[in-house]
Amino acid sequence: MTDDAQTISALADEYVLGLLSPSEDMLFEALLTHDPALARQIGSLRDRMLPLDLSATPAPLPSDFPARVRGSLPTQDQGSPVAPPKPANRPDAPKSWVPHLIAASLVGAVVGFSGAGLRQAPTPTVVAVLVDANGVPQAVIDDYGNDTANVRFVADIAVPPDRTLQVWTLPSPEMGPTSLGTLDRAAATELHFSDLPDPGAQQLYEVTLEPLGGSPTGRPTGPIIGKGFAASQI
Amino acid sequence: MREQDTAAVRADRLRDALVGCAAGRQTGIDAILDSEGGQLLGVARRMLGRHDLAEEALQDAMVQVWRKAAQFDAQTGSARGWIYAILRNRCLNILRDSRRLSVLSPTDLATLQEHRQQVVPTEGWEILAGQSRLRDCLHGLDGQSRHAILLAHVAGFSHAEISTRQDVPLGTIKSLIRRGLLALKECLS
Repeated sequence: MTDDAQTISALADEYVLGLLSPSEDMLFEALLTHDPALARQIGSLRDRMLPLDLSATPAPLPSDFPARVRGSLPTQDQGSPVAPPKPANRPDAPKSWVPHLIAASLVGAVVGFSGAGLRQAPTPTVVAVLVDANGVPQAVIDDYGNDTANVRFVADIAVPPDRTLQVWTLPSPEMGPTSLGTLDRAAATELHFSDLPDPGAQQLYEVTLEPLGGSPTGRPTGPIIGKGFAASQI
Repeated sequence: MREQDTAAVRADRLRDALVGCAAGRQTGIDAILDSEGGQLLGVARRMLGRHDLAEEALQDAMVQVWRKAAQFDAQTGSARGWIYAILRNRCLNILRDSRRLSVLSPTDLATLQEHRQQVVPTEGWEILAGQSRLRDCLHGLDGQSRHAILLAHVAGFSHAEISTRQDVPLGTIKSLIRRGLLALKECLS
């Protein structure tokens, strides 16, 4: 087993225990839809840990509880089971390297063990997982404060030759959406910008597809590739 | 829970209930609550310490079960394990959402944290694992790893909380848990 595979396997165990952060949880669930072996590893450990749940003292349900639950159920898309989510731009079949990107992103997101032995990576101030309209993770932003952030992509995003990807954040409603940088392809990139307040929890980040060279207006104009709210890491 | 049911009958019923949910039949949710509702609420109550929060978690979990039922794959594990995992996830969301807990008074919050700590005793932890292979395998772990694993799974503590509670550095706690889980899985397989 490679070091990364070992890390993913260890993360799977921590996922079952509930030890992953919300952003890692989301990435992990995206990875699971691509990786049946990993899903089986998780299902197996879950089932073996089940005695811990069954040892809780049962608590009687209030008599109106089932009715309350029924009242809160959304309408089901009847008769057509929901297909597992697929990365955007690839409605047919996910490319085989997409799960590797998600996995690499997860391994990178984990502070602590990585690669050969113990390595303490710098901790971002916030992490945001940007998802598309179907909730499928597309990119991950690590914002370190001090006007530095990293963007990584975890889905197959095709950028036409006459288009540019642009990364945005919303530091405050007064400042409005502010560009963190442009990219001509979906590749991991370190972004440097200037004079933004340090990021905070629940800050909005998004990536849009803009005309070549970036938005002509200084505000997002193109379709949203992914957006998400930051989770504080410190 | 209906104790007279055999495990196989219950497993079939829960799987059928999820198929029903996926097809939009609310009787699927009724069947899950009829079979597991009291036990599920007990798990939430143990982790959250308060009846109101436990009911909220279970209600949220049932909505998630309803939404995700079509994604359940019986090849990867049991319906029961899948349903309990969704409930535990909702409980953890409540525990990790500081805004959600900020509505509690400082006294209530302190009571809740105290309750969670007491859920996992150092002595007599065996009661948490019942008569299971899991219990035998947990016995084989060193005490510190076992306690950390139980604090996470049963009481929903995070790495950072366990590190603070046990007064052990965060990196040490992470490696204790990883080592413990590896040994546990080897024993269970």
